[in-house]
Amino acid sequence: MKPFANEPELELRRSSQRQPLLDALAELDSRLPLEVPVVVGGDRRTESGFVSCDPGAPERVIATAARASEADVEAATDAAQSAARWRELPAKERAEVLAAAAGILRRRRLQLCALEVRECAKPWADADADVCEAIDFLEYYAREAIALASAPELVQVRGERNTLRYVARGVAAVISPWNFPVAIPCGMTAAALAVGNAVVLKPAEQSPACALALAEALWEAGVPRDALALLPGFGDAGAALVTDTRVHTIAFTGSSAVGLEIVRTAAETPAGQSHVKRVVSEMGGKNCVIVDADADLDEAVPAITHSAFGYAGQKCSAAARVLVHEDLADMLLERIVGATATLVVAQAEQFGTDVPPVIEREAQDRVERYVELAERDGRLERPGPAPQAGGWFCSPAIAHGLDPASPVLAEEIFGPLLAVEAVSTVEEALDIVAAAPFALTAGIFSRSPATVEEAKRRVPAGNLYVNRGITGAKVGRQPFGGNRRSGIGAKAGGPGYLIQFAEPRVVSENTMRHGLVVEE
Amino acid sequence: MEADVQRIGRELAEAFPRRGRNPLKALDERAMELASRDIELRAALFRLVDVTPACRSLDDLARHLGEYLGEVDGRTPPLDAAMRAADSRAGRKALGAAAAAGVRHMAHRFIVGESPRAALKTLRALHDDGVLSTVDLLGEATVSSAEADRYAERCSEALATLAEAMASWPRPPEPNLSVKVSALTPAIRPEAPELGRRDAEGRLRPLLEQAREAGAHLHVDMESLDSLETTLDLVFALLDEADFETGPSAGLVLQAYLRDSPEELERILDWARASGRTPPLTVRLVKGAYWDHEVVDARQHGWSTPVFESKADCDRNFEELTRRLLDARPLVRVAVASHNLRSVAHAVACAGDTDLEFQVLRGLGDDLAHALSRRGLRVRAYCPVGDLVAGMAYLVRRLLENTANESFLHEQARGVDLGELLAAP
Repeated sequence: MKPFANEPELELRRSSQRQPLLDALAELDSRLPLEVPVVVGGDRRTESGFVSCDPGAPERVIATAARASEADVEAATDAAQSAARWRELPAKERAEVLAAAAGILRRRRLQLCALEVRECAKPWADADADVCEAIDFLEYYAREAIALASAPELVQVRGERNTLRYVARGVAAVISPWNFPVAIPCGMTAAALAVGNAVVLKPAEQSPACALALAEALWEAGVPRDALALLPGFGDAGAALVTDTRVHTIAFTGSSAVGLEIVRTAAETPAGQSHVKRVVSEMGGKNCVIVDADADLDEAVPAITHSAFGYAGQKCSAAARVLVHEDLADMLLERIVGATATLVVAQAEQFGTDVPPVIEREAQDRVERYVELAERDGRLERPGPAPQAGGWFCSPAIAHGLDPASPVLAEEIFGPLLAVEAVSTVEEALDIVAAAPFALTAGIFSRSPATVEEAKRRVPAGNLYVNRGITGAKVGRQPFGGNRRSGIGAKAGGPGYLIQFAEPRVVSENTMRHGLVVEE
Repeated sequence: MEADVQRIGRELAEAFPRRGRNPLKALDERAMELASRDIELRAALFRLVDVTPACRSLDDLARHLGEYLGEVDGRTPPLDAAMRAADSRAGRKALGAAAAAGVRHMAHRFIVGESPRAALKTLRALHDDGVLSTVDLLGEATVSSAEADRYAERCSEALATLAEAMASWPRPPEPNLSVKVSALTPAIRPEAPELGRRDAEGRLRPLLEQAREAGAHLHVDMESLDSLETTLDLVFALLDEADFETGPSAGLVLQAYLRDSPEELERILDWARASGRTPPLTVRLVKGAYWDHEVVDARQHGWSTPVFESKADCDRNFEELTRRLLDARPLVRVAVASHNLRSVAHAVACAGDTDLEFQVLRGLGDDLAHALSRRGLRVRAYCPVGDLVAGMAYLVRRLLENTANESFLHEQARGVDLGELLAAP
């Protein structure tokens, strides 16, 4: 295989690359609603269990999905037991299947983008970046799996032969969110499959059609039906998967509450379960951007507003707090508020949209609750025009002068609300960051190499960004994942991720027979 | 033709003023030459220039300088002394003062004044030397509507100041202002050019009206590729309005480093043919000043590089576009903006007449301007106006350009043989 390189994004500044997307959207609209079945061992069950809707036009149904039951979970883990063929394939052949799936996604990228625009209100550039990331995960893990198959050489002494190899753990349950509706399920699924595990995928109930598009690409590329099951559904199906005694690994990306519950539940070893479950859990963040007195605001302001409000703040990497040196605080706040007023709050399908509607009514309600808290605990700016009616729009908001005890400064809001706080020194900002329980992403704007070094030393975040925005991690370039309460430390799209899905086996063989060494 | 290019190039080189007239200027050139030889030192110098306006005190500035120099390997004794100075409070004060003076001096070489009024003296001196000018208002990046409004206001004040002052000069020149679309609107979205266009229209239209009334020329600069569609659409749409059918004089820019520039030129000429407005559009042909940005941006996104990566390809394209532009006269008026003696000599030879303009950057192309003007050719100096803070991005770009290894000025300073400098690309 060629060395890994990130999939090129569409160059949307060229009109020739924009029109095909609009055509793909029109084509998709003509096929709505889509149908998403429960797929177990190749059997497809369609029913109208639930629907996914366009967050920008909630009356528009994107998909009618079957709703996975506990019986489906049972059937899926049953089927996964017989996925021996996949497990026994040489790593290279599995890698070729994953690369073929990447090729299928590549060929369908316009349709996939359109689907993300409709089902998750991803603006075009975000949708395209998500599809590219999915392709990247497949290509990257394919190569990593080949590398893992030739495990490091052990110390050898005459008369014995020592080998280390990694084998699949067994059945992996993948529970994925809607905010990167193709890339995140793809990353977790591809990693598990690459090592030889069977996967039962339970995608978020908000984005079943995106998950089906992913699963179809994998099946068509040659992943056996028994090695990948698709269970569209809700939390009950996810909970049943987590407690299932035949699941070995649980890969989860989502909220802290659910993630911690999974960690707790998975620790149980009920009778009949002959292994300890492993949990790969990526949870929330409360990501801080530090702005030093010597920062270049011309760069910091657009980077911060984009990191905070892009995709309506619904990225786990999004900026939630700005800690700015008091010398610059008034100026920065004024410019952030001014820049926020110019953001385009509109439907995802419009080119140029910065802030699309949030995913659902509950999300809108949650954001508005925190907006009220921010008004109670400090001051609030909502400089943009009131957004159009019809979708779950939230206009971006900036809180400042907040009571340090305000929940707005502590809890993950997952929406377009940014808190700006003045600090007297960068040290004070670093103290705040170092004391926080979350440690997913962080940023610093400073032109002092010494200050940047100090931030590198003290910021516990899994991903620290220096003098740039804090979202948009690229596979292979910015392996992504949080520390502390934000995650268990695995780095998606980075070296070492696959080992989470593998168990190491060492064989030590005596090669002496009556004083004769029989090594080859 | 090639013989003409060589002859004209040599004649122009002959007409350059003798070096070292201005000792300060020579000092500056030595610093830049030093910087272009050592990549780390160059980075340290740029970072110093970049951070200067954000430093709160001389002590703070010296601390930054010390940190930047700390990252330079193989420091010369003077640099080591500077680093040691950064370790003590008294040393920092002296070092900070020296650094601030150095940056200010460099800035003053490129920036003609803090305001249009303050710039008048230099503009008049250029005028007396036979060199026309265009004023560019430096500014911080525009991120809000208020900032865009402020920029538009400054443009309007500049037009008024220039018009009033220049009217009393001998052989009064046409006031000439260059404006940047990214400063006129915070709404530029590369994937939605109509958003930036619509927002910028509201601020550019009154400026065009004012320019028409004042008999001034308004030139819309070109920036990075991300705003190219916005800029072209904006200029075409506004100039097509009935109000501007017979004025003001206006222009835009063609960047020869863009691989697509031949098609851009075709688009400009098509528009000019269809529009029929007078006076004809001025097209300023430049190499393009965002080369590093375009290359890095494309690589990071996995796009093919939109700019020529070899200097020879770019220079060849420049000459080809020069020829096509000159052939298209009088549909458009032509301004060749280059410091490359070969490109300039080629344009002079290609035109065969004097119905074209040459443009140089104040501080970089002064000698060339002098030589061209002595030859009886029309020359205009691009004169940035603004304070040091606002000017920083401009200053860094000019330094980058001037110290790049392939830069014509750099090669010229290095003493590269004239024959080599004038060789066909």
